[in-house]
Amino acid sequence: MGSDRSTQAHGHTTRVIDGREILFDEEGFLLDPETWSETLAETLAAEVGLGRLTERHWALIRFLRIFYLANGRAPLNRDIRKETGLNLLDLERLFPGGIRNGARRLAGLPNPRSC
Amino acid sequence: MVPDSAMIYLDNAATTFPKPPQVLREMFETYARLGVSPGRGSYDLAAQCDHYVHEVRCRISDFFGGDGPDRVIFANNSTDALNTILLGLVEPGCHVVSSRLEHNSVLRPLYHLRDEGVITFDLVPFDARGFIDPQDVARLIKPSTKFVILTHTSNVVGTVQPVGDVGLVCAEREVPLILDVSQGAGVVPIDMRAMHAAAVAFTGHKALQGPTGIGGLVLREGLDVRATRFGGTGFESWSSTHPEDYPYRLEAGTLNVLGIMGLNAGLTYLADRGIPHIHEEEMALARVLRDGLSSIKGVKLYCASSLDNHVALMMCNIDDLDPEDFSAILDGDFNIATRSGLHCAPLVHEDLGTSPRGAVRFSLGPSTSRDDIAAALSAVDAIAGG
Repeated sequence: MGSDRSTQAHGHTTRVIDGREILFDEEGFLLDPETWSETLAETLAAEVGLGRLTERHWALIRFLRIFYLANGRAPLNRDIRKETGLNLLDLERLFPGGIRNGARRLAGLPNPRSC
Repeated sequence: MVPDSAMIYLDNAATTFPKPPQVLREMFETYARLGVSPGRGSYDLAAQCDHYVHEVRCRISDFFGGDGPDRVIFANNSTDALNTILLGLVEPGCHVVSSRLEHNSVLRPLYHLRDEGVITFDLVPFDARGFIDPQDVARLIKPSTKFVILTHTSNVVGTVQPVGDVGLVCAEREVPLILDVSQGAGVVPIDMRAMHAAAVAFTGHKALQGPTGIGGLVLREGLDVRATRFGGTGFESWSSTHPEDYPYRLEAGTLNVLGIMGLNAGLTYLADRGIPHIHEEEMALARVLRDGLSSIKGVKLYCASSLDNHVALMMCNIDDLDPEDFSAILDGDFNIATRSGLHCAPLVHEDLGTSPRGAVRFSLGPSTSRDDIAAALSAVDAIAGG
């Protein structure tokens, strides 16, 4: 786990995780998905009470990232079910914070910002 | 892409879907026959298209109890129509009364005008059942109040506001009442005369069963709105100024003829089925939904204890489940489309304590069935841990 210090400006927070400055939005989502790292996911997971990310967590995180980087958008709800074999209710329970604030945030995907 | 026929669509308050097949058929068939620039040029088809648009204006005027076709102004949607009337009515230093139930289509123009130093405004609150009190409007009206602008029906909690009583309050004080009828038009009868409303702003893509991209304003005689957009009208092209005559004063550019045709087809559909009949059917299902949701442990409903003076939509949350996740699970696992979030009406959620994440809204439409409601209740029960 990397060291972490943070500063805030304009609702955004800059944190130093594992020696790198990472910018988060006001809800704790990465502003730039490219700044994601496994260490960052582990750091965020620890903060929401996940002592250790299991292979099930990693499989989901990797799917979300690969899909996002290939398609430029988050997977549809149906894509998640089809490609991971998980239903969304199970996914909700797998991550503290659920789908949006858990899985999606730990995978470094942008804030969906629905209204 | 072929529509998913198995999907249960409960987001009709945003846009009714699917559209009745006869509406789509009539819209496209009419457009195939008449889809040219209305009133532009001297060929017969342009004149016929112009006449068609005029006939639709007549129909809309009758539908809302207006003062005739010239006072029906087409716009892209309610937001567009509301911007047209708000920007065209305000004067520097004037005051406006509105409510905390409003959609951002009213709130954001008001915020903008206030921040530009043009207006001041006050917002009336709503009670625990989701209704404003006409006397609160009366208390807020002052000599500088230029108009009162209110939602007719809340898009968040579904309550039909006592606009007739508000209309009396406004009429007694000679202050024009403008109604945003986006959510009520096509669901409950709207008679501008009976409601003492000086104007209504409507959209076609909700309960009026038309397509997206068409809406408008209906103005009573005596209410004058300045033009804030200028351009081509198809006549008086020699003039450097935009025509003063209604409806052209407030319409610049070629109209959305396809949308007008779809709106007309939607009105035919409503006339054939009967608005009271559709509303009764929807409310019967809404009661089943409300009763079912309120019996599920962990579900919290908002402003739905009584469904009197209501349209068929309601909003709920499950314990500490994020509404966006709630809606995503309904979609991904149960093929049920709902609307999560703040529903573009942030003050309602602020006052209900559901801000900033909002809640999940279920909104019914003419195609909603008893089986759809049963499936929705079963899904919510499963998500809530039942």
